[in-house]
Amino acid sequence: MKSETAGAPSAKLADAPSAISAAVSAASIGGAAARLGRRLFGRRTAGVDRMAFGLVALLTIAAVVGPFVTPYDPFAVETSEALRPPSAAHLLGTDDVGRDVLSRLLAGAGLTLLSAAAIVVLAAAVGIVVASVAALLPRRADEAIMRACDIFMSIPSLVLALGLAAALGPSMLSIIVAMVAASWPSTARLMRGILRETMSSSYVESARILGMSRPRLMLRHVLPNSLDAIYVQASMEISGTIVMISGLAFLGVGAPPPSPDWGSMIAEGQQYTTTAWWISLFPGLAISLGAIAFGLVGDAVRSFVDPSSRRSS
Amino acid sequence: MYKFVLRRLGFAALSLWGVATIVFVISKLIPGDVARVAAGRLATADQVAHMREVLGLNDPLFLQYTGYISRLVQGNLGTSTITRQSVMGDLGAVLPTTIQLVLLGMFITVLIAAPVGIAAAVSEGKAADVAARIVLVTSGGVPVFWLAIMMRWILGSVLGWFPISGTNSVDGGPPTVTGFTVLDSLLFGTIGNLADSVFHLILPALALSAPFVSTLARLIRSNMMTALKADYITFAISKGVPRRRVILRHAFRSALGSVLTVFGMQFGWMISAAVLVEAVFGLPGIGSYLYRAIINQDTFSVLASVVVIGFVFIATSFIVDLLQMAIDPRVRHAQLGAA
Repeated sequence: MKSETAGAPSAKLADAPSAISAAVSAASIGGAAARLGRRLFGRRTAGVDRMAFGLVALLTIAAVVGPFVTPYDPFAVETSEALRPPSAAHLLGTDDVGRDVLSRLLAGAGLTLLSAAAIVVLAAAVGIVVASVAALLPRRADEAIMRACDIFMSIPSLVLALGLAAALGPSMLSIIVAMVAASWPSTARLMRGILRETMSSSYVESARILGMSRPRLMLRHVLPNSLDAIYVQASMEISGTIVMISGLAFLGVGAPPPSPDWGSMIAEGQQYTTTAWWISLFPGLAISLGAIAFGLVGDAVRSFVDPSSRRSS
Repeated sequence: MYKFVLRRLGFAALSLWGVATIVFVISKLIPGDVARVAAGRLATADQVAHMREVLGLNDPLFLQYTGYISRLVQGNLGTSTITRQSVMGDLGAVLPTTIQLVLLGMFITVLIAAPVGIAAAVSEGKAADVAARIVLVTSGGVPVFWLAIMMRWILGSVLGWFPISGTNSVDGGPPTVTGFTVLDSLLFGTIGNLADSVFHLILPALALSAPFVSTLARLIRSNMMTALKADYITFAISKGVPRRRVILRHAFRSALGSVLTVFGMQFGWMISAAVLVEAVFGLPGIGSYLYRAIINQDTFSVLASVVVIGFVFIATSFIVDLLQMAIDPRVRHAQLGAA
């Protein structure tokens, strides 16, 4: 049979469910990125979208090279330099133990953005796997899985993540684990709806009538054709995730003290607002700008993928 | 009708059990000696051994689980390692502060979101709409705890317009009866107490409502825009119904459907956001309680608070669903059709 070569990789994928999404994404992410790029630099792109994309690019660069270009050691305690206002020597001032705020911001950029990205990707992966499995199972099991998601969603995700991260002990890894655990059910729920919609389309119906097995149908037709919706969902989630992990760090379940996490920096500076406002102000601005820029990019990606949503955003 | 209510009640009960079970599983993920964590950092060997007995840590997992559920049903959430009081009593004492903060936050949210959303939809594409969207996108992205700190600093410390911390001024609040300072002032205190209590809540509630205003106003705007394009609106306008009446009575009413659902869910989300805001303003609510428990590694009190917040969330979404069914005939018919 001709499908021998094509069938082999998908059979292998079925053995490793977590690899499904990765492989399927890799196949079409290139094409989507190219289309997105064309739209971005096309003439009709809104100025605010360009600014948002520029900001996201800037933040990404800061996340990657930030730790290597810090003007000072972000961990060096220099009590004689404590609580210095912004100046030529310290552009964004120094904190209560004399560490340079700009250096800490740069060092923390990667921590915040990479963990937000990791959380969104992992939650999407878990959600997709759960939704696909549910779609393949008999109706009763499918409903039971979706009900379980509903129950998970009946604890507000911030509170669930807070409890889980507190139990696991303060570290960035606990935040990532906790956030993934708290946010996969809503992704799974959403994905299940999208898969159902794709499955009812006529080409999937035709493939089924031709005798294609259900798992294969899922991998070859349904999942690839549902990916656009996943990109939209993922790009919209990043913004909220950045805000939420900074909130968890602010409450003290994030990476423990000397870590230059933006949320913890705000917490460290909050008792000094009247005398040293810069300690809390700048990390908060960074989080806000990041969240707003990623939010606008999410909207842009959505209106790119689904033009009918453009009017109502 | 009854069938739907019963079914909804059944799901609420299932969710309560689910939340309790999730938290039990989380408590099994605590690394290290769980009895030591539960007894507190300063506990003696005897106290740790006693805690091991209470939690049944030497029993099979199934017995631990049933023991946990039966303690929960009896309202026993354990003892806080910091306050040395029962967690249930502690939470009962702090919940009123949180609830009145959230209620005021909800009130402010509607007060701002409805006019902004309607105005933006009516002036679609014009300067007012663009300005509203910029403000809404911004307020949606700003972390609520940072906004709270900045407001406390600028509006409280620098300008001195609002108190920066606590529920009442130092000269004493109203007598504590219900724990709701606003209600206590109203029933048992003076006009001064009432003004003072509300005054202390305004700044936290304002900070708390920012992201919710953003979500709600954007939803109202997009729903209103759809509603305003409907044929019956064109018909009403051409019939000569005053514009104001068309917007507020005809379009806004039909735009309300999903707004009510989201507004109801916001109550629950706002409780979790209140956790962050209370910590900033030193309001003795469930948020400050959680914050203190986290700082002191009182993990079991944290988990107990998670259970309680989950229960409150489930109860509110149950009530919201019933209310919505009572208010919106479309929902009522859809649900009855399904049930």
